[in-house]
Amino acid sequence: MADAAAALHPQFDDADQQRTAANLGIWIFLATEILFFGVLFAAYAITRVRFPEAFAAGSRLTNLPLAGINTAVLVTSSLTMALGVHAAQHGARRALVGWLSVTVALGCAFLAIKAVEYRIDYLEHLVPSLNFRFAGPQADQVELFFYMYFFITGVHALHVLIGIGCIATIAVMASRDAFSRAYFTPVDVTGLYWHLVDVIWLFVFPVLYLISRSS
Amino acid sequence: MTNRTYTRPVVYVLVWLALLALLAVTVGTAFLPLGWANTPLNLAISVTQAALVMLFSMHLRAAHPLVKIIAVIGFFGIAILIILSLFDVLTR
Amino acid sequence: MNSAAIATDESYLSSGWNWWSWLTTLDHKRIGILYTVTITLLFGIGGAAAAMIRLDLLTPHSQLVSIETYNKLFSIHGVIMVWFFLIPSIPATLGNFLVPMMVGARDLAFPRLNLLSWYLFVGGALFTIYALLAGGVDTGWTFYAPYSTTFSTSHVFAVATGVFIAGFSSILTGLNFVVTVHSMRAPGMTWFRLPLFIWSMYATSLILVLATPVLAMTLMLMGIERIFGIGVFDPALGGDPLLFQHLFWFYSHPAVYIMVVPAMGVASEIISCFCRNPVFGYRFMAYAILAIAAFGFLVWGHHMFVSGQSAYAGTVFSLLTFLVSVPSAVKVFNWTATLYKGHVSFEAPMLYALGFIGLFTIGGLTGLFLASLGLDVQLHDTYFVVAHFHYIMVGGAVMAFFGGMHFWWPKITGRMYPEGWARFCAILTFIGFNLTFFPQFIVGYLGMPRRYPEYPPEFQVWNVFSSAGASLLVFGYVVPLVYLLWSLRYGAHASANPWNAKGLEWETASPPPSENFHTTPIVTEDAYAYAPAEHPHG
Repeated sequence: MADAAAALHPQFDDADQQRTAANLGIWIFLATEILFFGVLFAAYAITRVRFPEAFAAGSRLTNLPLAGINTAVLVTSSLTMALGVHAAQHGARRALVGWLSVTVALGCAFLAIKAVEYRIDYLEHLVPSLNFRFAGPQADQVELFFYMYFFITGVHALHVLIGIGCIATIAVMASRDAFSRAYFTPVDVTGLYWHLVDVIWLFVFPVLYLISRSS
Repeated sequence: MTNRTYTRPVVYVLVWLALLALLAVTVGTAFLPLGWANTPLNLAISVTQAALVMLFSMHLRAAHPLVKIIAVIGFFGIAILIILSLFDVLTR
Repeated sequence: MNSAAIATDESYLSSGWNWWSWLTTLDHKRIGILYTVTITLLFGIGGAAAAMIRLDLLTPHSQLVSIETYNKLFSIHGVIMVWFFLIPSIPATLGNFLVPMMVGARDLAFPRLNLLSWYLFVGGALFTIYALLAGGVDTGWTFYAPYSTTFSTSHVFAVATGVFIAGFSSILTGLNFVVTVHSMRAPGMTWFRLPLFIWSMYATSLILVLATPVLAMTLMLMGIERIFGIGVFDPALGGDPLLFQHLFWFYSHPAVYIMVVPAMGVASEIISCFCRNPVFGYRFMAYAILAIAAFGFLVWGHHMFVSGQSAYAGTVFSLLTFLVSVPSAVKVFNWTATLYKGHVSFEAPMLYALGFIGLFTIGGLTGLFLASLGLDVQLHDTYFVVAHFHYIMVGGAVMAFFGGMHFWWPKITGRMYPEGWARFCAILTFIGFNLTFFPQFIVGYLGMPRRYPEYPPEFQVWNVFSSAGASLLVFGYVVPLVYLLWSLRYGAHASANPWNAKGLEWETASPPPSENFHTTPIVTEDAYAYAPAEHPHG
C-alpha cells in the first residue's frame, strides 16, 4: 500500500499543504493552456470577422459527422476519467486501473478518428501548402481557414496524445499499487488536465465545424 | 484548497448525458437558419458545456475561491485580447 | 538575532561541492546562483552587441559594420537583453534565492520544476547562441510579420525556438512563486506582513504565467507561417500583419512589467533598510504593484499607434496607458515619503536604489509623452523611444538588480564586497548611464530614427556623447563583476545581518543552511518594523 508519509516531500510541512500546492500548481498550468489555445481562437476570430463568407465556405467542407462522433468520444472519456479519479479517492485500485484504461482507449479512438478525418481532408484537396484546391471565390481565404483548422486541431491532438501518455503512465503506476486513498495526486492532476483538453475541444468543435451549416 | 470533494458517480453520469444532449442541440441548431444568432448560440452552448465540466468533473463547485479565480482568469485574458483587437479591426 | 555570528562550515554552499551536486541541485539557493552565472554570461553577449552598435554610431555613416550586420546587432541585442537577461534577472536570481526565505519556507513548492526551469533556460539560450553564431537575425527583437515570416533570410526560426523554450522556463518560475506564496508562508506571515519584494515577485509571477503562453503561441504561428508559407499574417492571402503585432504586444507589454516590477520590490527593501523607516503606505504599495500588473495587460496597443491600428482603438489604448502610470507614480511618491525624516545612509545598495528612483521616474514620465497620440506620431520609431525604455530597463531595472545583488551579497555568499569600489561603480554607472541615454532623448526628438546605422551629420555630436557614456557603462558593469568575484575569496566574512535589516532572510546565517532555517520562524511583527534613529551598522 502506498504510504502517505513516504510521499511527503521535504519542503512541505504536511500532506495537506502538499495537496494544496499540487492543486494550485495544476490549475495555474491549466490557465496557461487556456491562454495558449486562446491565442489561436483570437487569431481565428479576427480573421473570420474579416472573411465571413470564406470561413463559412471552408467550414461547410469540414467533416461534421466524424467530428461530432469525436466530440462524443472525448466527452465520454471525460466521464471515464472522472470515474477513475473517484475510484482513486476511495482506494479502489482495480476500478481505477479499469477506468484509466478505458480513458486511454477512448483517447486513442479520438486520435484514430481524427487521422481518418485528416486523410479524407487530404483526399478532398483541403490541405494548405500541400494539395489545397478550392474552386469558389476567395480561395486564398478558404485556404487560410483550413490552415487554422489544421493548426488548431493539430495542436489539440498533440495535447490529446500527451494526455494519453500521462494517463497510461499513471494506469501502470496504479496497477503497481502506487496510489492509495491518502495519496493519489498524480491521478487527480492528470484528470484535471484531461478535462481541460475536453473543454478546449468543446469550443474548437462549433467554432470550426458549425459555421453556416444552415445555408 | 485540496481535492477532498467526493462527488457521487451519478453526478458525473448526469453531466455526461447533459453534455451529449447539448452536443445534439448545438449541431441541430446549426442547421436552423437563425442568421447571425447561430454563432452566439453555439458559443453559449460551449460555455455551458465547459461550465458543467469545470464545476463538476473538475470539482470547481466546492473549490477554494482562489482556485475558481485561477480557473477563469485565462478566459478573461483571452477575452481582453479578442475584444480590444476586434475593436481595432472593426473600426479601421 | 542580530549577533555577528560568522557562518559555520555547514551552509548550502558547503554541502556538496562538485559539478554534479550543482547540476542536480534542488536547492532554490543554488538554482538562483546557477541562473546568476548564466544570465551574467548572456548579459556579456548582449552588451557586446550594444558596444558594437555604439561604436558604429560614432560616425554618421556605418563604417564599422555593414548595414546587414547592423540589423543583426540590434536584433540580437534586443533578443538577448529582453528574454535572456531582463526577464529572468531579478526573479530567477534574487527571487529564487529569497522568495522561500522571505516567507519562512524551506524551499519553493516545486524544487524539481525549478531545476527544470533552469535547464529550459539554458536550452533556449543555446538555441539562440547557435543562431547568433550561424549568422543571427535581422528582424529586430519584435519579429514583425511579414518580414519575419516571409522576407527575412536570417535565422528567425532558430531564435524563435530558443525564445519559445526559454518561455517555459519563465512560466515554471512564475508558477512556483505563486504557489509558494499562497501555500507555504510561515505561521504568522499574513499577506500584509509580507515584504514588498514578495508582493512584487507575486505580481511578476502572475504576469509571467498569464502572458508568456501568449508569446509562445504567437512565435509558433510566426514560425509555422515561415515554414509553410501559409498564415494569418500574410497580406497576400488577406492575412493581417497587424494581427501579429496585437498578439506579440499582448505579451510584450506585460513583459516590460515583468522586467520592472521586481526592481520596484528590490527598491522597497533597500530604501527602507538604509533610511531606517518602514515603507510609507505599505498597503498602497502592495495594491499599486497589483494594479500595475493588471493594467499592464490593457495597454499593448500603444506600440501600434502608427502601424495602421484604428484611431479609435488608439484613443482607448492611449487613455489606458495614462491610467497605468498612476500606480507607478504612487510608488515613486511613497518611496520619497519613506525617505522623509529617515536616517539616510549611502551604502552602495542605497546609491543604486536612489538612482533607480530617479531614472525610473524620468523613464516613466517620457512614457507619457509616447502615450500621447499626437506626440507619438513624431516620436515613434525614433531614439526617443529607445531612450525611454532604456531609462526604465537599464536605469531602472539593471540598477535595481545591481543594488539587490550588493544588498543580498553577504547573505548569498557570506562575504562583504568592498564598499569603496562599490560606491564608486554605482556613481560611475549613474553618470555613464545618463551620458549614454539622455542625448538619445534629444536626438530622437530631433528626428533620428531607431534601428538605423546612418544618420544626418548634425546628429553626430549627440551620438558621440552617447557612445562616450557607453564606455563608462562598460566599466560600471565590469568592475563590480571583478570585485564581487574577488570578494568570494578575499572579502570580509559577513555576519547574519550586516545591514541590521528587517526580514526573515536576515534572521538566519550568512550563507544560510540548506534548509534555510533551523526551526520554522514564527512571524509576529509587520514588515519593515524599523525603529527610527538606528544606524545600519548597529
